[in-house]
Amino acid sequence: MSGSRLPAVTLTLKQFLQRQRVLGLYRSLLRTIREVPDPADQSYLRSWARDEFQRNKTATNPDAIRMMVMQASDHLGELQTSLALARS
Amino acid sequence: MASRVLAQCVRTLARSSARLSGGNLAVRAVAAPVSASHRSFSVISNAERRRVLEQSRVSVVSVWCRQYGDLPPLTLETIRDRVMYVLKLYDKVNPEKLQTTSHFMKDLGLDSLDQVEIIMAMEDEFGE
Repeated sequence: MSGSRLPAVTLTLKQFLQRQRVLGLYRSLLRTIREVPDPADQSYLRSWARDEFQRNKTATNPDAIRMMVMQASDHLGELQTSLALARS
Repeated sequence: MASRVLAQCVRTLARSSARLSGGNLAVRAVAAPVSASHRSFSVISNAERRRVLEQSRVSVVSVWCRQYGDLPPLTLETIRDRVMYVLKLYDKVNPEKLQTTSHFMKDLGLDSLDQVEIIMAMEDEFGE
């Protein structure tokens, strides 16, 4: 669009929402990792999560991003169920 | 309105503790100026109220008094110090380059994932 005066880094609505979803997932992942009882496990999981997210930071394909988000939420669900099992 | 309610509590508390302790001059001396200046809800009356509560707690164990949280007061300097302390502890931040005006992305080179971690650290620091 020649008449548009928005800066080049402006995201579309879909991109913005996806970005917020990723950040929300990262946040809930970190929160869940904080409840892990063993501190060594906790630091390992935290560095694992950090590396995973940082490694795929530059992905631009929305389908690939969606797949990665689904994988991350699966991991989060697994972590939550295993924590619940360990607590009971 | 809240200040009036709180001043009322302090007055009744001071009166009851003075009656029970019977001659705690310090408590009665504190109660008089507090009841006189119940309009001004300043930090001073806050400290006086706390002192009254502490003294009442010491003299009479059975008096039911409200325990206000005694965390350090939130002044601008303490907030700034705590924020800088949390940021200095973060491993991706270079402590020499850190200032109150530094921008996360432009000056410190952090990204939004680091911002999530930093905000969670702030929540831990300032929350319960």
